[in-house]
Amino acid sequence: MEIFVLAFFVLGYLVLAGADIGVGMALPYLGRSASERREVIAAIAPFFLGNEVWLVAAAGVLAGLFPELEGELLSGNYTMVVALLLAWVTRDAGLWLRGRVPGARWQAFWDGATVAGSWGLALSWGGLLSHVLLDIQGPLAALPALVVAALFAAHGMTFAALRLRGVLRERAAVLSGGAGEARTYALTSAAFLTVGVLAGLRLPLEPGTSGPLLAPVVLALIPLLVAAQGWVWWTFRHRVTGPSYL
Amino acid sequence: MDTVDLARLQFALTAGAHFLFVALTLGLATLVAVVQTRATFSGDPVHLRMTRFWGQLYVINYAMGIVTGLVMEFQLGLAWSGLTEYAGDVFGAALAMETLVAFFVESTFLGLWIFGWNKLNRWAHLAVIWVVTLTAYASAFWIMIANGFLQHPVGHVLENGRLRLVDFGAMVANPAAQVAFGHVLAGAMVTGGFFVAGVSAYHLRRRTVERDVFRKSLRIGLGVALPGLFVTATFGGIGFQTMQPGKVAAWTGSAERLAAAQAELAAVHGPGDHLPPVDVVQTAGITMLVLFAVMLFLGGPSFLLMLVRPVVHGFRPWHGLLTLMIPLPFAAMLAGWVFREVGRQPWAVYGLLTTSEAMSPLSHGRLVFSLTAFTAVFGVLIAVNVWLLGRHARRGPGAVALGDRPVEAPVPVLSF
Repeated sequence: MEIFVLAFFVLGYLVLAGADIGVGMALPYLGRSASERREVIAAIAPFFLGNEVWLVAAAGVLAGLFPELEGELLSGNYTMVVALLLAWVTRDAGLWLRGRVPGARWQAFWDGATVAGSWGLALSWGGLLSHVLLDIQGPLAALPALVVAALFAAHGMTFAALRLRGVLRERAAVLSGGAGEARTYALTSAAFLTVGVLAGLRLPLEPGTSGPLLAPVVLALIPLLVAAQGWVWWTFRHRVTGPSYL
Repeated sequence: MDTVDLARLQFALTAGAHFLFVALTLGLATLVAVVQTRATFSGDPVHLRMTRFWGQLYVINYAMGIVTGLVMEFQLGLAWSGLTEYAGDVFGAALAMETLVAFFVESTFLGLWIFGWNKLNRWAHLAVIWVVTLTAYASAFWIMIANGFLQHPVGHVLENGRLRLVDFGAMVANPAAQVAFGHVLAGAMVTGGFFVAGVSAYHLRRRTVERDVFRKSLRIGLGVALPGLFVTATFGGIGFQTMQPGKVAAWTGSAERLAAAQAELAAVHGPGDHLPPVDVVQTAGITMLVLFAVMLFLGGPSFLLMLVRPVVHGFRPWHGLLTLMIPLPFAAMLAGWVFREVGRQPWAVYGLLTTSEAMSPLSHGRLVFSLTAFTAVFGVLIAVNVWLLGRHARRGPGAVALGDRPVEAPVPVLSF
């Protein structure tokens, strides 16, 4: 039961936030001008807050249900996790701040932060997953990390193809070929699920002692949380028609 | 500095930075929700402008609260794995509840509120800001349950060198948590109230054309801040009764009490210094109390002055004073946290686990790296965000992007 709860939030994070991180990575390719970039960001804007919170929840589940693993995993990968957090903060700052001041240089700077932060996030995830999955650390880990980062970028592109219109959609759909946008998105999602499950199987998933009390509460909450997210997805189910608040 | 000091400094800076934004978030969310309720019922454009203006400042502030909060959550596992291993089965449960019951919903609905403006039905949009506000309270509640456990551990047993949760109700009902939650939440209302009053006073002092917006806002701000001060002080006063003996002894500075607290802990844990640094605890406590006195001394008469309309519109020295008061609640909050947290030292879980035992086995170099990196990034972002808050606050309701209607709106097409 505890393992299901943890898997639910980690896998949910990879599939959902993987898409907005990937869009951030592909931002210079998808959006060639400031106004195009703003429209590309509108594809993820209503979702990224609700997506990144899956990782916050996963960390909470780790703290409550697997406290020993939490300490081992985070302090044992200290530098990588710190890099991941710094990249996360940089990416979010870029998204929030780009529109706060009019001016090409200000926006270009914070778009740069979004791109750098998204790459940093994807590469840190790559490093962490290759450590857990393949037990590789050091310079050699760059190779699997790049493969994971490429998966993030591809996933982001397929999501952008689903959300954008016109020339932006065509650019994003370059990976899909004629295969259909939804099917390509399903494929990259499945790749994320596979990587996540394989990594999970390599972890010492020994639950702590609060599971019998906490896990049923969390299980009961999950339908509510999914419904809340479902409302967001329903509200923003249409393709992007112009710039958003960000 | 040794590694424990570096790790403590890192956590203190992150938590301190986080709390500055959290305090304003809790207070402003409440005021935005109240104003939006009035706007939705009355349809009055003044209320709508107020909602959008204060909402915009709330969102700018919230973004910093999130990013500092993320780093804080992960720091527990990063630098304090001794704590998560020893006590994670108990206080980790409160953290899990916080992320799932509160923050997950808060974040999801905040996205809906920001981007759903002019898209959602206005009653649904109003319901969304109330969910955001109430889950923000819930978030503070569960964090204080976790913190209260560290201050005054209850509801657990010690088994095989680790704590196990046996009484969830006792952990939640912990007076050291409940009283502090009331103190913190009321303090946040004071912070939000003086912020709204101070920004409004700035505009009234400059003879703004938005007189209605800022007169109403100033009254709401002071109307929340003054009662908030009384509630904060009441909970704070009760809080002294829930404090660990070491903190009380350090606060009073009485040699007798210090010796008694030391002897009590030494009887269980053997020789060693089991007491917090007296000077830091006293300085922080006095700072908090002096700032409270100043706020009360200025807030009381301000509450009366705001009832007179010509004064609200025209008493410019008073406007300046209110604007200058904006930082006071923030400083009092930080001093209060230093008092609470340093006063718990040298314990991570009072009487059970010391702060050095709570630390992860980390090298000096790694901590210097992370401390430097976090401080640099947060230093820049905080400076930028404070500047942006000031800039957007000064610009007034005319320049608000939040809730703006899009210029052109093509026919929507489904994306999934």
